[in-house]
Amino acid sequence: MKKLILLLAMIFVSISIIGIELVFWTAPNPLQERFWKETVAEWNANNADIQIKWSTIPAAGSSEEAILTSIASGRMPDICTNIFSGFAAQLIEADILVPLDSFPDFWELIDARKMRPIIEKWKFGRNYYVLPIYSNPIMMWWRMDILESLGYTVPPRTYSEIYEVSQKYSIINERFGTLVVMGRNWWDRWFDFITYYYAASGGAPYLDIEKARALFNNDSGKEVATFVNEMFRNNWTAVDLGSNPFYTGVVLGGIFGPWEINQARSLFPDVFKNIVITPPPVPDSYPEDDPIYTFADTKGLVMFATTKHREAAWKFIKWVYSDIEKDRRWMEMTNLPPAREDLLTNSIFKEYMDENPYFAAYASHVAYAVPPALTTKTVEVQDILTTFLIETIMYGKKDPLAALSDSSTRVRKELF
Amino acid sequence: MKRRLKTLEALKGWSLSGGYLLYTAIFWGYPFVWLIVLAMSKWNFLTPRRFIWFDNFIKLFQDELFWRVFINTFNFMLYFIPMVIGLSLLFALGLKRVKLFRTFFILAFLVANVSSGVAYSIIFQKLFAINGPLNDLTRAIFGVTIPWFSSPQLATLSIAMMVTWKFIGYYGLIIFSGLQAIPDTLYEAAEIDGAGRWTKFFRITVPLLNPSIVMVLVLSLTLTFGIFTEPFLITGGGPMRTTYTFQMLIYTTAFQKINPGYASSLAIVVALLSFGCVILTRKLVEREVELA
Repeated sequence: MKKLILLLAMIFVSISIIGIELVFWTAPNPLQERFWKETVAEWNANNADIQIKWSTIPAAGSSEEAILTSIASGRMPDICTNIFSGFAAQLIEADILVPLDSFPDFWELIDARKMRPIIEKWKFGRNYYVLPIYSNPIMMWWRMDILESLGYTVPPRTYSEIYEVSQKYSIINERFGTLVVMGRNWWDRWFDFITYYYAASGGAPYLDIEKARALFNNDSGKEVATFVNEMFRNNWTAVDLGSNPFYTGVVLGGIFGPWEINQARSLFPDVFKNIVITPPPVPDSYPEDDPIYTFADTKGLVMFATTKHREAAWKFIKWVYSDIEKDRRWMEMTNLPPAREDLLTNSIFKEYMDENPYFAAYASHVAYAVPPALTTKTVEVQDILTTFLIETIMYGKKDPLAALSDSSTRVRKELF
Repeated sequence: MKRRLKTLEALKGWSLSGGYLLYTAIFWGYPFVWLIVLAMSKWNFLTPRRFIWFDNFIKLFQDELFWRVFINTFNFMLYFIPMVIGLSLLFALGLKRVKLFRTFFILAFLVANVSSGVAYSIIFQKLFAINGPLNDLTRAIFGVTIPWFSSPQLATLSIAMMVTWKFIGYYGLIIFSGLQAIPDTLYEAAEIDGAGRWTKFFRITVPLLNPSIVMVLVLSLTLTFGIFTEPFLITGGGPMRTTYTFQMLIYTTAFQKINPGYASSLAIVVALLSFGCVILTRKLVEREVELA
């Protein structure tokens, strides 16, 4: 009996010594893995009472699939990154996330990280459940070498300027003005219609989630639909352009995220030096001095409501994101802009920005990058935009404004 | 003594088949029961499951997308099945005539079958691009550009061509083994009776190949209901949803729209459709063949 008591006492003591263990999942991306490995090791070395058990999101068809499986089997982590807005909305509706603004020092962290306007776009109902980690503004790349050979010194800014340059450059089925439609999958709409819509509307929302309404059938939506239609009807753009049409000069311009910078630098060094990065195109009437908004490919961090150690998990989150040095390390290691507004103004980031002007072009638009609508029907809505708007315009099946109106009605029905 | 022997035999039997039965119960029986339960449930992985009986099935038959995919599947069959059977038969007939390097030819065609779907989808995507090498060729010779993946009808044909390329070697070998089983004496007897090349082909080869052709037909029918990688990677189901397949619909419904209950009901209906097609084909095409 004595031995048994002694054994139990030893187990109890060792549990107390080990303390809290938090399970933390991050994106399965080698660059991000490097950052988290280093950061978690630093935390674990200095916080014996709260140990982080870090791993990447388990292998599956997608991160969402892996997280859903973990939820279904009751084995979800305490904290998880790589959460996109649509998935976050589903998790929030299922009531399995902790509202981060329930922590008293939440706004203190937001202000310390200079991200108040950014977090505003992540509000769901009355709360904030996701802490955006990085924000990739989607920007337009132009081949300045070819533009100069056509007699231009600055890349096109408006739709009319794109029409003009496309007319000069295009040869049917051989060369085209720009890549306008990024593909036929539902997620491609983030990088074409939604990007163009944010640019044309000054970052206005395309859905009203609370009233279950589609908002894009307005003047800005009409401008975008007409632009896409003009480009296809005149054969100034196409889909199915094989590999790397931008680098091979098949198109003069295209929409890309900052992840493309490293690839372009290493695979196409000759073209790389001739690239100019601009915001997405805007309608001719868009005021010249107004900032141009764009779509934010952004991912955030969430805390699952099943965690038994909310305070400890928050302490870790706060430790990571209140330290500006960690954001600098993140930027250097991943080449993804941290979701903060002072990337161009804070001296800590200056050296990196000076050395990486292309990255600086992206960083300059973090403040004007708008995340997608926080809807649980992301796939359904963007499926409708693909079939009844973009493809309908591409194939000239309907007048672009009729296609816009039809897709808007369908989206409203889907949301309702 | 007799009873003991019987027990011993039973023990041996159970020990031999037990592993398989256990495996089947865990990896087939359990998922099958769970599939039926899910098909009658409303669930999103996140909130508690709710039993809704046949609501998913009722919704399914009213779903515009389901019927679009249904039409796509039969459209794909119209291209794929004649093409794959015709070309596999040609491959098998050619192989029968080849005496040298036969194994090399067989392996060359089988390489397509064992290739990664992702890898060859990317290659075909580049090959069939508007500005790809195939269109460069057609433009140079005929002055035309073929929108392989951009035209709604051609996209289905293009994917059927890719899948045919992948399966010619495998199906061709099945037909080839059928050809090998036909005794030469039958052809010799026919020649004595004055039968020409075509008569021998249509009166001897084709009827006696019936079991092989039915097998290839059944395999290609089930394959049609299982296409996923090629349209998912290349066309994303477009243009205008014409290459959307049942497997894509099941996958996106379960894991992107987070509706596993509805996806399960789809899986059951697709399985029944597939079985129905196989049974119908066998009834219409299968004949009893005796070679002895």
